[in-house]
Order: sequence, then C-alpha cells, then structure tokens
Amino acid sequence: MQLGGGSDKLAERLDELSALYVLTDRLYRAKSSHEASEAGLDAIRDGLGCRRASMLLFDEAGVMRFVAWRGLSESYRKALEGHSPWAVGGRNADAIFVSDIAETDEPAAVKEMIAREGIVGLAFIPLTVQGEVVGKFMTYYERRHAFASHEIDLATTIARQIGFYLERTRAEQARKIAEEELRGSEQQFRLMSEHAPVMIWTCDALGKCTNLNMMLREFWGVETEDVPTFNWHPTIHPDDAAEIGARMMQALSTQTAASVQGRYRNRKGEYRVLLTTARPHFSASGIFRGLIGVNVDVTERDQADMAMRHSEERFRSAVEAAPSGMVMTDEDGRIVLVNLHAETLFGYGREEMVGQGIEMLVPDRSRSSHPVFRQGYGSFPQARPMGAGRDLYARRKDGKEVPVEIGLSPIQTSEGMMALASVVDISERRRSEAQRELLMAELNHRVKNTLAVVQGIAHQTFRGTQATDAHAAFEGRLMALSAAHNILTQTSWEHASLDQIVCDSLQIRGAFSNRVSTTGPAILLQPNQALSLALAFHELLTNAVKYGALSNDAGTISVEWFRTDEPKPRLKLVWSELGGPTVSSPTRRGFGSRLIERGLAADLEAEVAMEFQPQGLVCRIDAPLPEGILPQ
Amino acid sequence: MTTLSGKRVLIVEDESLIAMLAEDFLIELGATVIGPATSIDDAIALIATQEIDAAVLDLNIRGERSDRVADALRLRDIPIVCATGYGQGAADFARGSAIIAKPYSKEKLDHSLRFALG
Repeated sequence: MQLGGGSDKLAERLDELSALYVLTDRLYRAKSSHEASEAGLDAIRDGLGCRRASMLLFDEAGVMRFVAWRGLSESYRKALEGHSPWAVGGRNADAIFVSDIAETDEPAAVKEMIAREGIVGLAFIPLTVQGEVVGKFMTYYERRHAFASHEIDLATTIARQIGFYLERTRAEQARKIAEEELRGSEQQFRLMSEHAPVMIWTCDALGKCTNLNMMLREFWGVETEDVPTFNWHPTIHPDDAAEIGARMMQALSTQTAASVQGRYRNRKGEYRVLLTTARPHFSASGIFRGLIGVNVDVTERDQADMAMRHSEERFRSAVEAAPSGMVMTDEDGRIVLVNLHAETLFGYGREEMVGQGIEMLVPDRSRSSHPVFRQGYGSFPQARPMGAGRDLYARRKDGKEVPVEIGLSPIQTSEGMMALASVVDISERRRSEAQRELLMAELNHRVKNTLAVVQGIAHQTFRGTQATDAHAAFEGRLMALSAAHNILTQTSWEHASLDQIVCDSLQIRGAFSNRVSTTGPAILLQPNQALSLALAFHELLTNAVKYGALSNDAGTISVEWFRTDEPKPRLKLVWSELGGPTVSSPTRRGFGSRLIERGLAADLEAEVAMEFQPQGLVCRIDAPLPEGILPQ
Repeated sequence: MTTLSGKRVLIVEDESLIAMLAEDFLIELGATVIGPATSIDDAIALIATQEIDAAVLDLNIRGERSDRVADALRLRDIPIVCATGYGQGAADFARGSAIIAKPYSKEKLDHSLRFALG
C-alpha cells in the first residue's frame, strides 16, 4: 500500500485500514458463518466504497452459491448462481478485475443479465483455504471502473482474511465432528462393554482405572462412582501380585499387549483365577491412551487343568517307577513315552526312542507284520498280553534280541487312544525255567531208574520162589506208582488231574475199560494226593479183578466224584462195584485194604469207608482239596 | 505182529539190575539176548559184529547220551525201543522210535518190541 499525495487519498487509506481492522475483529468474534459473511461484506463496502457486493462459496456438490449479498436482485442471483471462473479446489487462482463487462468475451446472455442489473464494472476475488479455491467475493460498480492497485491490494487482503476465517472454522468444525465421533464411540464402547458376558476394563496411560463394566464391578463390588478411585492391586493374591504388577507395568511402559493369569479376591472374599488379556489403545493421532482389557474367569478350567496335570504327573511317575519297561505309543505307533527300565532293556536313551516308530524295537523278521497287529489292536483295544501263545522278542540297540513278555493296555488321552506296553525281559526266567526243566528231567530219570532197579531186585528176589502172586502184586504196585509219576512228570510235579489218575490207573488193564465207568468234574490234585490215589485205585482194581466185579464176566465198576466248596473244598469220590460175586466182609485185611483205609487217611487227611455190601464193594473217599487250585 | 520167539534182541543198559531184568523178560518171551552191553563202546562193538533184530536202548549210558548207539543201529536199519526214565522228554532222541518208560512190565516190553519189529 502506498500513501498518495492528497488528504482525500489519505482519508481513503485510513478508511481502508479501519475497515480491515474492523473485519479482523469481527471475524475473530464471529459466532456463525453468517456473521462472518456480513463482516466481509461490510469490509468490502467500507474499504472499497462499493455499495453492491456478494460472497459465494462452493457447496458440497461443487456449485458456487450465494451466501451473502448486498444490492442484488433475486433474479440476478438465480441467473448467475453457479457461475465461476475457477473450479473447486483450483490452485493459484488470481483475482479478475473487469472494468466494463461489455468489453469481455462473456456470453451475450451473461452480459445482458449483468447489464439489466445495472452493473458495468466488477471484480472476482477468489477465497482460498490452504491455497485451494473454496469460493469468491464480488464487487459491483454501476459505472465503468478502473481498479486501482490499492483497491486490488485491499480486495486481496480482505479475501485472505475471510479465507483465514474459513480455514479456522473448518478446522474447528472438523475437530468438533471428530470429538463428537470419539465421544460417540466411547459411549458406544461403554454401552457395549457394560453388559458383555466377560469382565472388561480400561485404564489410562498411567494405569489408573477409567472404566469397569458391570460384570467386573460386580466381581469386585465397586460402585460406578467409585471406579475412578478404585485400586485393584490389593485384590491380587499376594503370591501373584509381583508378576501381574510387572506384566501390567511392562504393557503400559512398552505400550504393548499383555496376557497374564492370576488369583483375585472377589467381593465375597474368594480367590478366583482370572485370565487377563490387555491391549494398548491409541488416539487417532497415535497418542497412547491406556489399556483395554478382558478378564475371563478360568478358575474351573484352571482347577481341571491342575487336576489333569496332577493326574498326568502321577501317571508319568507311576510309569517311570514301574518295575518293567514301559513304552507308550500313539495311534500311529509313534513312541510318546518311555521309562528308565525301557532305556536299560532296549539300550536306547529315551531321546532316541521318543518320536520314533515302535517298530524300531521289533526284531527284523517281525517288523513288516507288526503294523498289521498294531492296527488290529487299535480297532479292538483292551488290556491283554501281546502275541498270545507266541514267543516274543525285542530288538535292542546293539541288534541283540531278548525274549520278552508284553502286556498291552489302551489309554484314552486328550491326544487320542494310546497303547501302553509293559515289557518284561524274561531271559532270566527262560534260563531258570530251562534249568528247572533240566533238573526235573534228571530227577525223574533217576527216580524211574531207581524204580526199575527196585523192580529188578524184586524180580531177582522172587525168581525161583513159589511167591508168583506176591511178585505180580508187587510189580503191579510198582507200576501203579510209576504211572502216577508219569502223570506228575507231565506237569513238572505241580499237579495232576484226578480224571487222568483215575483213567490211567484203571486202564492199566485195558481189557476192562468198557466195564469201568468214570464220571466227575475236572479236579486238580497235589502230587502227594495223586500218588496216594493212584496206589489206592490200583489196589481197588486188583481186588476187583481177583474177587470183585471184574472177577466174573458181568460185573461193572462205577467211579463217581464231585467237589463241594462249602465250607471248604472237598473231594467226594465213590467207587462202587456191581454184578460181581456176592461179597462177604473179608476175615483178614490185606495190604490193599490197609493202604486204602490207612494210607489214604494219612496222606490225604481223608475219611475212607470200605463197605463190603453183598452186591459189591463200595468205597467212599472224602478228602480235603487244596484251596486256590481250581479246575482248568 | 510176530512173536519175539527166536528174535535176537540187543540190550544196552548200564544198570546191571535193570539189564538183568530185561534179560529175564526177553528170555521168558522166547528171544535171544545179545549183550547186555553196559557201555556205549561195547554196544557199538556188538552192533558191528552181531546179527541183531531189535534193540532195547537206554537213553543214558554212564552219564552219556547214547546217540552214537542209536545212529549205529539206524544205519543198519535195526528197530529200536528206547527205555528211559525221561518219559516223553526223550522224544527228540527217539526220533520216531518207540519209547517205553522205566520201569516197564514184561507185557509192555513185549508189546513195544513186537510193534517195533512190525
């Protein structure tokens, strides 16, 4: 701005300055855009001495609309609304000063409309916000108007002032909208979280509680108005406080997410296990606002987990302490668990076994068929010994094979059906069994040889004497004893079946087999019982052949026995002869009778009754049976 | 089945009383007794020199298994009756030959030998 020479000019300049000051002041105080527009138009009128003026702004659709005006008819405004020399957002827009509209290239209709309004000279001054055109103000003159440079300067200055105002109000508006949105979203967050079925909280950047939803307030028993002053730290279990505090501090100081589990005292004074997951939240401009957290009550789950862990630990320590090699495999036959014994047995360290297929422990020759057996077990899992009846071997790391006995048990776990194999190295047992068998065979051999020697001695003793019957009786008894020995030998002197003793004893003379009937359940006898009974049967049979039911062609013998279990197990056996010659009680008791009556009574603790009934001999034997040995 | 009458039967048995008993049984059954051999070498010598129809062979002669005797007999297709205190435990030794458990009766010996002779 240059000061001119004359005092009029000076007065004009002062008016201009004063108009600018007034404008600045009014814009500063403007409470609405209407007030601002009025101030702008007043400044144009007062500063530029222009009676008619207008202000237009682009609307949302990008159409230039009159927002304020002076001295313009409605029809003029309607006709020229939307007319703009600049596009929305255009940059570097310059003001356009037209001395006489008639001299421009505007369309005739526009020129005519302007002329009809009585306008000759006019100016288009762009209003810009941050360099972009948002509107314009116009000054109108009824006569041709040459725009002086100070007028141009002033117009530009007024436009800039209004632009600043617009810029400020727009920013203000944007901020207000953003704030409202934020308030709205916070409101919404509170509303949503309030009734959420989990515990939700927020805290500020310093960790101070800013919001607790209903569930969490109820947990702690905090009233809404007390939330801002509520301190939750004292509710943490003393043992968990340090860790939870540290984790939360870390989340706050590093502005990162955190997850921590711990015990908190609720309003009733009970400790509950809460799993807290917290995330940082930031303002739109990236400022850390604090944490938003969710607490889930996992007390029951935690207890179940603990119980599961305990039972798993117990299981593991039981497996570890088991006195045999334990190997657990999953459904695919992968080893998942082994114990110390298994390491010793197989010669592998557990880290060499776990994760590998179980087939690594199977001898080469059975390896290819093993998966089939395994799958068979998987489809019908039950606790049972492996490889029924087959000799099983395990392959050690050094390639050696060891005889083993394997028991399988299915274990249902959270990771599916597992098979737990208990593997016992039976090399030692095999060796001692073989040793025992060898000794037993040797003993039998010697006993039999001794019996044969006794037989030989008897033979030599009786040779040439008249005692043929006695010799035969002696040899018969010796053979009966030997036959009973044979039966016992078959079971390694553990037991003998009564049925076999009866049949073998009575079929020594096969000719009578169809005249002797035997009925009774399977009963196992101890060796001494077996020997005594075998000798007794021999005597009974010999007697029957000589004097009883087998001494003629028609007699028969029935041997029946049964077992009673109350109060204690006993064997009741009845030998009855029928159809032989009429029996009379013998005057003299021979060795046979004595052996039966006294021998059995002594050896078996049995009650023996010999009844010499006329139709045939009946012998009743009532002997205790050992408890625990059951018929097989 | 033939009788044992006139059959030449070798007895291999180290226990003299048992050997004598077998000898008596065989004589009573009408057989001719070769031996009894009381050692493995004696038995093998007899097998090499004597005409033998059948043999009653103890599995264990003076603490040694009498496999060599059994082999020599089998080589000459002489039927064997294994007399043993081991019972059926001697099955691997007998290799299909008859086994009779000691002590045996004359009848049992008769039956086994006749069966072995076919």
